[in-house]
Formats: sequence, structure tokens, C-alpha cells
Amino acid sequence: MKKLLWAERQKIRRSNIVWIAVFATVMVAVIVFLGGQEVYDGSRNVDNAGWYMTMAQPWATFFVLPAVIALLGSYMICREEQEDTLKSLRLIPVNEANLTAAKMIVTFAFSILLYLLLFAITFLTESILHFSDLSVEMVLSFLKAYFLDGLGVFLAIAPIIAFVSCMKKGYWLALLFAEIYSFAGLFMSMSNFLKAFYPITAVFTISGYYDASTSQVILSCISLLFCGCLSAFILKSHCLLFASR
Amino acid sequence: MLRLIQTEFLKLRRRKLVWLMLSSALFMPFFALLYFRYVKETGGDPIQFYRWSAFGYTLWFILPVVLGTLCTMLMYEENQHDMLKQLWIVPISKMEYFFSKFFVVLIYSICFMLITAAASVMFSVLPGFVTFEWGSVLYLLKKCLEIGIITSFVMLPIMAIAASQKGYILPVTITLVYVFLGFILMTVNMYLHPLPSMAVIVMRNGDIPGLVFTQAINIPLAFLCICVWNIVAVLLANIALGRRK
Repeated sequence: MKKLLWAERQKIRRSNIVWIAVFATVMVAVIVFLGGQEVYDGSRNVDNAGWYMTMAQPWATFFVLPAVIALLGSYMICREEQEDTLKSLRLIPVNEANLTAAKMIVTFAFSILLYLLLFAITFLTESILHFSDLSVEMVLSFLKAYFLDGLGVFLAIAPIIAFVSCMKKGYWLALLFAEIYSFAGLFMSMSNFLKAFYPITAVFTISGYYDASTSQVILSCISLLFCGCLSAFILKSHCLLFASR
Repeated sequence: MLRLIQTEFLKLRRRKLVWLMLSSALFMPFFALLYFRYVKETGGDPIQFYRWSAFGYTLWFILPVVLGTLCTMLMYEENQHDMLKQLWIVPISKMEYFFSKFFVVLIYSICFMLITAAASVMFSVLPGFVTFEWGSVLYLLKKCLEIGIITSFVMLPIMAIAASQKGYILPVTITLVYVFLGFILMTVNMYLHPLPSMAVIVMRNGDIPGLVFTQAINIPLAFLCICVWNIVAVLLANIALGRRK
């Protein structure tokens, strides 16, 4: 497993997808900053302590980052088939289940890193604008929220990556599914039950962006864990099917 | 030129995903159906329903993302199978090639909006939210055609980027960022980005409720914005395709 992870790291170094994902994250931060120029109650939105760090979370999650992470994951899995390297890997022999698991772990790490990058950008901007208004407690709670966002978003989109990796050729589908799926979260936040149950908004219930009761947090945890188990199940059954051929 | 467009459509026949993507046109009308059933009453006003089903997020988000993906797909697949060389040998002018793809996007976009319109009428009349009237249906059709035509021009820059790249990841990520930028810039300055400019042109009479314009409506300026972006895009595509061997 260690070797597989090392190999994945080497493969990803050569491809520029990582930089593209970073570019998308930076752009989201810039765009939300632009949106914060709106004047409300006599002061710009970005001048309120915490506004930028709070708002970057939902905007990034409803519109851009889940799709980018799903694209990253499905690209890594589909490219072996597409570039015809899977055959050579099978000859080595590499266990395909372990290979996919290694790819999922890399995607998971990226999901968290992208959110932490977003946190770093928003935090630095806020501290340049008004350092004295920030408290250590607030910053730490945001750090925790962003970390949980990254973790939750990976779990929420894992079934999509797993499903697409079964089809091998469907990275377009991964992108579109993930986009519509995360976008639908905007509507799910209208009802309290759906808000806690729908995986994308469940991420916010757990991270603390929404004020939620304990039962809602538990429901969200169950929903996200279910997503994780579902993706593991899809990958497992697919690999078994493949081995039996 | 007509023959090229015909060839493009023949190529599309084989791709199921393109047709599958049309089904995302049903997303917002279906959501509007749920919204008016459980959350709000229409009060018999069809515009209220259409505002949700056709003029809301479909215009801002779903249609641009779908078109951006389609642009990338059209450009990428040819590249991937190394067909471009053979096309240049035929010979096909590079700009003709670019515009034949653009026409596919234009027609696809119009079809997409017509499906949205048909679904909106069906989902509003069948459950009895509004009574069927020709006046409002024609109004919806007119607006949908406008949206369909202008949005394809709005997405021309993405097509140029897709033409200049060999991979698919960068154009797809830029699509997401581009659409998100348009969404946020609406509140800052409507004449910087083609997407808000398109919204200005479509909602010029102020007869669609729910959208507050922060600036005075200036149709020529909105057209100018779209034209400038498109001219830059065509120039970029011309240079990029010229360099391709």
C-alpha cells in the first residue's frame, strides 16, 4: 500500500491537474472577495471580521470545489484505462482494489488540502484587512470547520467517484453529476430535515456552519458515513466482478 | 460550411452522454414543481413559476455549465483520437472547423432551453398551478429562445480555451470558475462579464420579478461586453488553432 501511494504521488507530480485544482481554489477565493465589495449597512462586507471566512465555505462548496475534487479523483482512476497503462499494471501484478483504494486516499488528502488552502487564503486576507478584530478562538474554529468541510465533501462525493470508476470512461459524468449534486444543496437547505440528510449540506451541519441540534448532527454523520460505505461497496463489488471475468 | 455542421451532428449521434446531458434541462422545472407544491403558492401567476423553472438557476448556472462541458467535449474528443491531422489534410479551414463546432453548441443550447420551456409548461399546467394561456406560453418561449441563443455566445471564450488546450481538465475547471465569476459579478458590475450582460439583455423590461439590478439597464453596453469577449475569444482560437500542427 505504501508503494502504491508513493507511485500515485509520482504520477500526479507530472500531471498539471494539481495546479489546475489550486488555480480553481484561488479563483474562488478571489471571486468571493470581489462579491464582498458590496456595501451593506455602511461598510463593505469584507470589512466585517469573519465574513470572508464564513462565506467562502458555502460558495466554494455549492459551486466549484466538489466538482473539481470529483474530477481529480475520476481522472486519476480513469486515466489508467484511457492511457492503456492498466494492462501493464495488471501484469506486475497490482491488486486493482488496492490501486483504487490508494487513489481514493490521495483524493481524500487533496480534498482536505484544497479546503485548507482556501482557509489559508481567506485567513491571510482577513488578517491583512483587520488583524486586531480576529480572535484565536474564532480562527481555530474556522480551521476546524474547513478541515471538516474537506473531509465531509470527500465522503459526500465518494460514491460519484466510485460509480464513475466502474464505468471507466465517464469522467465527464463525474463532473456533471458532482456539479448538479452540489448545486442541488442550495435548495435542500430550505428544509431542516433535508438539510441534515442531504450529504452536501450535511457537511455544513457537521462543520458548524449551520446551527444544528444534536439529532441533526447525528443524522448528518449517518448520511455521510452511508456515502462512504456505499462507495466502498460499489468499488468492492466492481472489483469482484472484474476478478471473476 | 453547412456540410461541416452536418458532419458535426453525425458525429454527435454516437455519443450518448450528449443526449443524457439534455435531461439536466428538466432539473429546475422539476424543482419548481416541488417548490410550489410544498413551500409556496403561485397564486395563479405563471411568471412566478417560470421565474423558478426557466429564468433562475437554469440561466445562471445549469445551462452555462452544460454548454461549457459540451464545448470541451467537442474539442477534446477529436484531439484525443488524433483526428485533427486528418481533418487538416482534407483540408478544412481552421476557423471553419471552430465555427462548425460553435453552431453545434448554438443549436444544442436552443434545444436545451426549448426542453426547459416545454417542461415548465407541463409541470405548471398538469398539476394545476396555473391555467394554460397562449400569451404566457409564447412569452416563455420567446425568452427561452433569447436565453438559448445569447448563452451560446457567452460560452464562446470557453470554446476558445478548449481549442487551445490538449487536455480537458483546464477548460472544464475554467468553465466552473467563469460561471461562478459571472454569478458573483452581477452584484458588483454587470457589464464586465458576458453572463450578467446576457441577464441584462434577457430581463431588459424588468418584467421578471426577483432580480434587482444594481445599475441602470444599458443594452448597447451589454452587447458591447459580449462582443468584446467574443472577439478576443475568436482571435485566441485563431492563434491557438494556427499553431496546431
